Amino acid sequence: MIFQCDDLERALRTPELMPDARAHAEKCEACRIQLYLWTEISSLAPQLHEAWESPGLWPRIRASLAAEPPRQSTIQPWRWVLAVAASVLIAAILLSPRQSRPAGRELLTDAAFQQVEQAEAAYARSIANLAAVAGPELERSPSPLAAAYREKLTLLDSAIAELKTAAARNPYNAYLRTELASLFGEKKKTLEDWMIHANRN
Amino acid sequence: MLTERRPASGYRTEAEWLAACRRREIPAFEQLYRTHGERLKSIACHIAGNRQDAEDAVQDTFLKAYRGIDGFAGGSAIGTWLCRICMNACYDIIRKRQLASERAEPAATATAAPQPQIALRAQLAQALGRIDPRRRTVFLLFAVEGMKHSEIAAVLEIPEGTSKAWLFEAKRELQRLLTEARP
Repeated sequence: MIFQCDDLERALRTPELMPDARAHAEKCEACRIQLYLWTEISSLAPQLHEAWESPGLWPRIRASLAAEPPRQSTIQPWRWVLAVAASVLIAAILLSPRQSRPAGRELLTDAAFQQVEQAEAAYARSIANLAAVAGPELERSPSPLAAAYREKLTLLDSAIAELKTAAARNPYNAYLRTELASLFGEKKKTLEDWMIHANRN
Repeated sequence: MLTERRPASGYRTEAEWLAACRRREIPAFEQLYRTHGERLKSIACHIAGNRQDAEDAVQDTFLKAYRGIDGFAGGSAIGTWLCRICMNACYDIIRKRQLASERAEPAATATAAPQPQIALRAQLAQALGRIDPRRRTVFLLFAVEGMKHSEIAAVLEIPEGTSKAWLFEAKRELQRLLTEARP
């Protein structure tokens, strides 16, 4: 390659051209200076790091942290809701008879059971549609708030899956169905809250 | 590097350390300060222009981190998060200073020295103050503080390619200024 002064800019961007640039610089004073400065900038830069003793800084920071008012519980309310829901679910699983259909006020009739199943399926589909609309933006967003929403939805999905399994084992248990509907409602509200936030920004 | 995930002494894992920060245990924040404070001071000094303001910015950084640790999602390294807070604290200080119309004390730089390399370093420090602020920040974080482009991209919330392009432009600008300054 016949290297000319105009090629220097390209050579600085392309390491493969540097041998040609150096060979050219041996004969060209202007390019030699440019190459020298280019190299020196990188090698001198770390020396610009500023370091000095500041023995009073941490004590100052510590005092300002200590002066901060005590925080309230850092556990958000929805975590409590989920924790309670999980406890209730476990209790329901342990206390409910398996694959049985005894008579009782808390068990569903066949007709009611079919109605509940249909309504539940329709509700789940509408929430899935809502998730399809809100999901892509939620997945893309790097903000901490989006991460909190994602975490909450993951927990809700996990709780819903567990409840569905329990409800499949005890299909006539009205309590489990109510709990499932409540979790679906929470998921719907979470997705709507996120969409309101996303639209505002 | 800011991406190092080694736990600080006294904590078995980084998760344990972070959990202590979330509980707002001051010793956990002291470890954060011991690990990242020096670098934050240097970055703040370059941006704010003097050591006193740099220390104020670092103090403000830790106070904001203490208040907002719940907002740290853990998606990036905590050092990157602190760096972003620190830079914003510096810009706040600069804004307040501009509002108060006070002249900043110039940053501590090497005095004129007989050796050509030391003279060049002083010229470089001076030239750095004259280039485009965004390019200067990338140069400062990459070339002076040794951060990776991926970390810089996270701190400045820009694509990694932009960080690389701004670094190149910063070096070209510095090269031009140093060429002009040559006798």
